[in-house]
Amino acid sequence: MQYISFVMGQLARNAKHGWTAQIMTLFTVMLSVLIFSFFFLVYTNMQKAASRLCNELRLVVYLESEVPTNFRTEFQKKITNFEEVEDIVFVSREDAFARLKKQLGNDSDVLAGLDPSFLPYSVEIYPTRNLKSLARIKEFSDYLGGLPGAIKVQYGQEWIERFGYFVSLLRIIVVLTGALLILTSVFMVSHTIRLTLESRQEELEILRFLGATDSYIRGPVIIEGFLLGLLGALSGVTALSFLYQWIKIRFSGPGFMNLFELSFLPGSTIFIILSMSLLLCTSGSMISIRKYLKL
Amino acid sequence: MNNTHLAPPLIDIVKVSKVYPPNIMALNDISLTIGRGEMVFLTGASGAGKTTLLKLLCFLEYPTKGLIEQDQKDISQLSSIDLQLMRQQIGVAYQDFKLLSKHTVYQNIALAMEVRYENPTKIKKRVMELLNDLGLSDKIHIATNKLSRGEQQRVCLARACANRPALILADEPTGNLDTESTDKVMTLLNKLHKSGTTLLIATHDSTIYRDTDHRIINIENGKLQEILKVKLDF
Repeated sequence: MQYISFVMGQLARNAKHGWTAQIMTLFTVMLSVLIFSFFFLVYTNMQKAASRLCNELRLVVYLESEVPTNFRTEFQKKITNFEEVEDIVFVSREDAFARLKKQLGNDSDVLAGLDPSFLPYSVEIYPTRNLKSLARIKEFSDYLGGLPGAIKVQYGQEWIERFGYFVSLLRIIVVLTGALLILTSVFMVSHTIRLTLESRQEELEILRFLGATDSYIRGPVIIEGFLLGLLGALSGVTALSFLYQWIKIRFSGPGFMNLFELSFLPGSTIFIILSMSLLLCTSGSMISIRKYLKL
Repeated sequence: MNNTHLAPPLIDIVKVSKVYPPNIMALNDISLTIGRGEMVFLTGASGAGKTTLLKLLCFLEYPTKGLIEQDQKDISQLSSIDLQLMRQQIGVAYQDFKLLSKHTVYQNIALAMEVRYENPTKIKKRVMELLNDLGLSDKIHIATNKLSRGEQQRVCLARACANRPALILADEPTGNLDTESTDKVMTLLNKLHKSGTTLLIATHDSTIYRDTDHRIINIENGKLQEILKVKLDF
């Protein structure tokens, strides 16, 4: 209890003497968290949109001839060699004819007298519902086109392909911003704390002369890093929440954004972002104080 | 100086030398024993080695050669944590004060007790008592850079005495003081001595040891040359 009261006293004193540097660090951590979590929010929403698109998505491979039943397993294996899929359905000419008839509905008369043999054999492939599948759709399609007996591969629209490229790009941006912002946060926090410690070097020396233990010197600095991480991350997430509300209100109504059914980051993700920020800022302060414990 | 011949000494310096680069001999093969509860005056000209000796005793520096034992422990063998705890047992009034200039008088004195995690009420009581003894009660909330050198010196001494340490090392504790303040400082130091504290006082000021019964050791060119006055109580 006594220790906590001294640590709090030291923190108050540090805040009084170095509040400008601390505000700057807090702001940096807040911005880092905001930028990263914003991209992450966009990414997760895109992921959901992709998942919805994937529900509708299937690749149809038209074949020269029907795949014999005893070769189907091998054919399926060739497909899954490239990528895991949800389902593979072999469609016979008869099945295709029946479907076409059903699709035409009242106009199915046009098929009267026709033989199903004018329709090709095909295989319908349902990719797994994730962004990776969507991003690789073109590649997958090319691969399927190269399978023995494949005449043509058909899937969705061209924009699905573009969407796939876009989410791939977004994923790279999320990873890069994440990495860069982690480095920035650690650097800024350790730099600020180092500057604060530089300005307190005389005090630390005197504390050493008075017999201050490592924990007495280290404690407030580490807690300072912890608090900067906590407050910075909380402010960042709060700012993101306001930004999210604004986007939702601003783009509500009929339009492009309605396709996406925006949703905020789940609690578990926010918890991970807060924990990461705390961990990074605390590590930053621990790195900075090491030198001063050798006095 | 009571019981110095019975109890193990608090400080035992054996054939200690201190050489600063390139080849400046600050202390040359000195030996000295200071008993528990003893008050010793260390005199000598500027640059004679008084401050160096005090620095060795408060672990600010280490001897180039020889052995220093405090409380029967070889200081060169102390672990980091032992060194920190040992420093808490020593009060040092530095010649250059080593005060936190932007901190108040209260904060500076309290710091010595805070590093020992003393109770805040106890700290407040002790700081008030010391300020009263040294005539600084009205300066309690003033930053030390706003004080005169004499006042800073008294704050430094108050900080050294705050924990009622087993050993007080005072480097020129009356160097910047007028007669009245010198009396106050010496009254405080005598009070601590009577309560059992061991004191080693490095000074130029002959007025504070002129009529003393305590040991006076002169240091010259890094050597303990003569013991001017020895009076043992048997």
